[in-house]
Amino acid sequence: MTKSISNQIRRLRFNRNEMTQQMLADAVGVSRQTIVAIEKDKYSPSLEVAFKIALYFDVPLESVFQYQ
Amino acid sequence: MSYKERSIWVSLAITVYIWFNYFSGIYHAAQQNELTISSMQSALLNVVIMTIALEILHHIVMAIIDHKNTNYDEDERDKQISLIGNTNAYYILSFTVITAVLHLLFPVMTQSLVSALNLPSDYVIINIIIFGALIAEITKFSTQVFYYRRGF
Repeated sequence: MTKSISNQIRRLRFNRNEMTQQMLADAVGVSRQTIVAIEKDKYSPSLEVAFKIALYFDVPLESVFQYQ
Repeated sequence: MSYKERSIWVSLAITVYIWFNYFSGIYHAAQQNELTISSMQSALLNVVIMTIALEILHHIVMAIIDHKNTNYDEDERDKQISLIGNTNAYYILSFTVITAVLHLLFPVMTQSLVSALNLPSDYVIINIIIFGALIAEITKFSTQVFYYRRGF
């Protein structure tokens, strides 16, 4: 079975009072389209961006991204 | 559609428009036996001027339409997509260089092209390289657009 990277960004944004993709993009220094691509599992971000997202939501990395 | 993707679409359209005009002009001139070195030089000069003018216009219009993102820096995804586009373009350019060298070493292989264009061999080589560079440029933009559309 092939493993792939999935993420919980949509849920984490929802829990943060439905914060917009643009707000998250500005916070981690990427474009909104990159956040869209990450949320849809079409793009796996670099470790740096992954850590920035986790730090922004103040959760461990594995709570944001899963490899399964 | 992101600022970057929109910009690539416009650059692709400009490239195809300008170089289609150039090669159709060369082809028609060759068909009517009017293709000379000076006409080719003026066609190339026209391409350079048109490219500069249209690219400046493109950036001015983009800045007016989407002024918020005018100073947008590429993020890591843009850079990766750009890298794949450049890699594909490099393969085409390498193939073009090999073709140009083969034309120099074995002129018999491209004899029909030389007789069709009715130009000195040096200018045939120039057109082979220009055509290869055009295909490489189109490949680069198309690859980038493909990955922006499909997701990366």
